[in-house]
Amino acid sequence: MISDEFARNHSRLSAVNEPLVLGIESSCDETGVALVRGQELLVDAVASSVDEHARFGGIIPEIASRAHLEAMIPTLERALSTADVDLGEVDAIAVTAGPGLIGPLTVGVSAAKALSLATGKPIYGVNHVIGHAAVDQLVHGDFPDEFLALVVSGGHSSMLLVDDIATGVRELGSTLDDAAGEAFDKVGRLLGLPYPGGPHIDRLAREGDPEAIRFPRGLTAAKDQAAHAYDFSFSGLKTAVARWVETQRAAGKELPIEDIAASFAAAVADVLTAKTIAACDRNGVDTVVIGGGFSANSQLREMAQQRCTEAGITLRIPPIKYCTDNGAMIAALGSSMVTAGVAPSALDFGVDSSMPLSITHV
Amino acid sequence: MTQHITLSSHDCQVTADSADQMRAFGARLARIVRAGDLIVLTGPLGAGKTTLTQGLGQGLGVRGQIVSPTFTIAREYPNLTGGPDLVHVDAYRLGSFDELDALDLDTSLDESVTVVEWGETVAHVLNDARLEITLARPVGELVGDDADLDGDAPRTISLHAVGPRWDGVQLTVND
Repeated sequence: MISDEFARNHSRLSAVNEPLVLGIESSCDETGVALVRGQELLVDAVASSVDEHARFGGIIPEIASRAHLEAMIPTLERALSTADVDLGEVDAIAVTAGPGLIGPLTVGVSAAKALSLATGKPIYGVNHVIGHAAVDQLVHGDFPDEFLALVVSGGHSSMLLVDDIATGVRELGSTLDDAAGEAFDKVGRLLGLPYPGGPHIDRLAREGDPEAIRFPRGLTAAKDQAAHAYDFSFSGLKTAVARWVETQRAAGKELPIEDIAASFAAAVADVLTAKTIAACDRNGVDTVVIGGGFSANSQLREMAQQRCTEAGITLRIPPIKYCTDNGAMIAALGSSMVTAGVAPSALDFGVDSSMPLSITHV
Repeated sequence: MTQHITLSSHDCQVTADSADQMRAFGARLARIVRAGDLIVLTGPLGAGKTTLTQGLGQGLGVRGQIVSPTFTIAREYPNLTGGPDLVHVDAYRLGSFDELDALDLDTSLDESVTVVEWGETVAHVLNDARLEITLARPVGELVGDDADLDGDAPRTISLHAVGPRWDGVQLTVND
């Protein structure tokens, strides 16, 4: 006969191996709530306030906070009912603690703490950027022993060397000025395109000549290899595009907008992929995971695929819906932490808008 | 050569020949600012606004790499050395807002040094006393071969102090 105590321990053990984790994401303008069992995604519910921001030409923090507040409970209820899960069944709650916008982060963290207090389940305050890499497990299965992650979005451009997504993430480098997506939005502004500029430049670039204008590749010169082999800089590129456009306008010439878009997008994709492949080579790694909203960019996807294939590197990019902000990425990272036996966060943790990549969870 | 500038409502100018010199200017600025100060940075795309702020942040001793605030509108950098925090704002899209409450900042502006880029339309609601810095870069396409697009070009830095806070304040820069 199996004793009650044995049954309890057994259920605890299985919970650690295949934990049911609720993930909450609210660092920017998407309210995301997801459920993951082990590394199987049960539901990924997202509510976006992007339409409310579009009329201001970008995210307004105060508007985003209010939108999160209104969307949090309905999105949570939708996630639970879609997956047919009762809150009491959840083994742990994971929430984005940073980096991101202070107000929006606070809404998600407050909701997660309330749920943790009410249910008595452990809480993990995790790093949003690392979540962008972690989500790929849900799509392409277990990670290899070591891989390189490139996380690119409107607010981030970072290269990570990962030997364990829960406990062994090392930042190799990051952007020194503009994030890749940010540079796209600025060039979009320059060309008079609507916000966000990224998708518009992507579309125009497909019709232009990527070699029409030779824009600079930041931090790729030999002199930068010692200090900045893994860092990015897109500020000089943005300035070069601005000056090229000014010159054309001053001369009364019509702007070859497709060629500008194609040449600019090619410069960004070239730098991101060349540095990533070189980093694989330097670190003896043969798998690359690309995540974050900017990995939706088609020039980056094509160039990364081509160059990884040539270099014999396995490339993993999740489908676009998992590249943008979502709860699944946070649930996936939380699940990895529970499985790895990482201690949960103390309930009094705060949000950290500029959380460094050296902190995987608080 | 070292140059001493007495801040006033009359514009005065210095130049920065490279990004490093722009950062050095920012670091010099860190020596004269204190908690509650507001710096309004104006200049076209690529003028060096974020580069100047990087130098200021290094000079103040705040945490982290200072990057563009455009996507998030504001970035806050905590101070690790006991000095004021740095708040870095891109107000480009805030033109329709009367107050910077919309930024939802965690840090009190009274306890921070605040840098507002594209702030000419909103800065007046923040603080009557402010240091206005206008950056200018050469206009037009760079001549020469493609590699020159990567090169540094001189920037002109114009300083204009508003309010009694800056009376008699001297800024020392290396020319």
